[in-house]
Amino acid sequence: MTGRFKILVVDDELIVRESLVGWLKKGGYRVEAASRGQEGLERLEREDFDLIFLDIKMPDVSGMEVLKQVKERYPSTMVVMITAYGSVETAVEAMKLGANDYLMKPFEPEQLTLLVEKLQQHKRLIDENILLREQIATAVAERYQDIVGVSEPMQALFQLIEEVAAVDSPVLIRGETGTGKELVAKAIHARSPRRFGPFVPINCGAFTEGLLESELFGHEVGSFTGAAKAKKGRLEIAHGGTLFLDEIGEIPMKMQVDLLRVLEERRIHRVGGTREIPVDFRLISATHRNLTHEIERGHFRQDFYFRLNVIEIQVPPLRERREDIPVLAEHFLAKFRRETNKPVEGFDPEALDRLCAYDWPGNVRELENAVERAVVLAKARRLQRDDFGFLFRGGAPGEPHSLKEMERLHIQRVLSLCGGNISRAARLLEINRTTLHNKIKKYGLRVNG
Amino acid sequence: MTDGTHAHRRSPGARGAVGVVPLGNVGGVALRIVAANVQAVSGLATDVLEPRPLPPSAYLGDRRQYDASRIIAHMAGWSELNSHARIIGLVSVDLCVPILQFVFGEAQMGGRLALVSGARLRTNPDGSEVPLDRYYERLVKVALHELGHTLEIYHCDTPGCLMCFSPSVSHLDRSDIRLCSRCLFLFNRAVHALAHPKEKPL
Repeated sequence: MTGRFKILVVDDELIVRESLVGWLKKGGYRVEAASRGQEGLERLEREDFDLIFLDIKMPDVSGMEVLKQVKERYPSTMVVMITAYGSVETAVEAMKLGANDYLMKPFEPEQLTLLVEKLQQHKRLIDENILLREQIATAVAERYQDIVGVSEPMQALFQLIEEVAAVDSPVLIRGETGTGKELVAKAIHARSPRRFGPFVPINCGAFTEGLLESELFGHEVGSFTGAAKAKKGRLEIAHGGTLFLDEIGEIPMKMQVDLLRVLEERRIHRVGGTREIPVDFRLISATHRNLTHEIERGHFRQDFYFRLNVIEIQVPPLRERREDIPVLAEHFLAKFRRETNKPVEGFDPEALDRLCAYDWPGNVRELENAVERAVVLAKARRLQRDDFGFLFRGGAPGEPHSLKEMERLHIQRVLSLCGGNISRAARLLEINRTTLHNKIKKYGLRVNG
Repeated sequence: MTDGTHAHRRSPGARGAVGVVPLGNVGGVALRIVAANVQAVSGLATDVLEPRPLPPSAYLGDRRQYDASRIIAHMAGWSELNSHARIIGLVSVDLCVPILQFVFGEAQMGGRLALVSGARLRTNPDGSEVPLDRYYERLVKVALHELGHTLEIYHCDTPGCLMCFSPSVSHLDRSDIRLCSRCLFLFNRAVHALAHPKEKPL
């Protein structure tokens, strides 16, 4: 249960830093280190950490000063103060400033283990609480549609789908957000010999580690608090069909081992169960991340990557297949005309020119959203150039914006301001990273790193 | 004595995959038991190697302990033992690392070197001495746990698994000489890769 728990060690003593980092890494935690208080603050500016081990006595910015800034800027980050010069007074002061705990070097091995486990449990409960609230609040409508494209890259993609569908090997689909990776997975399944079996998708980034394990493997009665009934996992449900693991790059290291094992042994145990359950599914996974880069950073297992990436499919971004834009626009127009019952007949040539000139950072999903918006707000029977003014510089002056549109524009602006840094943008927007990821997906926004 | 349950001293040139090296004053029986069990559990040919002195630079006068990381760093200089894929050092002195008051062992995560101390394994938390068979069992558990780290296996949270972190001998006694199914899977893969370095991974 450690894969996503990120820890930062800030200590000026090299041997202490290396020793603590080494010990934490053996526990499977993701650990980074900083040798100065200022360096620690800079790391925090760039990425999120769940827990900081913070030395009190450091030469530049003291641990107490770093603690103050952390609690001001990143209040959900937990902090454990460490020192060789500890006293009850310093401990009391640190706790008053918001430190979660306090340790004196060298630690009792048991004390350190219990402390990290306790804080991890604390974090997990908070995350699960947030996630459950969000799941209740935002019921996202799923839509299924065929992939549309007349361009050369899309014709090549269709050909590849036909070839890939016939074999049973794992497929890794890569592509930017909004390019339609799930549609490609569905198309492969629909043309494969397994098409009469289920297509079972799961977004690995949408669950905390504990929930993901239960979702994938299922559980037996009483395997954890709240498991009142036995439940089949998605691996079991996908038997005879296709399992689609979306956002595979978000999957924790331990879960990677479990899935690697399932892929090799073709059987599972439910959480809390001892019975072996045979499973037979085709695996298709998708990611917008560069997994080879994640392997280099130690966040993704190479052997798991090789298992997933037997066949790789790259879905091209919309800006690289502009000739598909008019076809897609007509396709979405027909769809939203039916849904809204508005007599919108087509596009003015100038409107289509505008659509073709735009870069579509959020790809097909952004185009779909744009057409939906234009149809809803359309005054004429044909969509005009100005109906898509919002695509450029946030719309023409005086043009009314819906609340949804304002949210989309604001998030895009904050993402640009933060240079694509999700953690920073989430902090500025005062929402958590999961919510921000969901909104980026919903609005088809582009994240520039 | 060579049927997979006992390791032995080999002639030069016939190297096993794992070498067990006593540093300082270590009992010969303990050494042979560790080597035999490593060989039996892993299936890797295991050699008992010639004793070597403890590096004086690893001694911490103020703590009256040896720094395990420094001993490992010292072991990394044993280039003549490079033909062994893994080296397990065995000591009878008390070990620590800078952040922890003591450790039973230390290892390079995914590296070649591991170190095991018997100093705290002879007694119970109440100070009473344990029978020799219990002491040897603990020693073997620590050796296999540290070997697991060199095979890139992290600490495990499955109760009873040998890769659980044991902060005390009581915890160690609660572990079995067995790996949970997840760790066993990783252990077997890594051992297979060591035994068949030119083959593709399982």
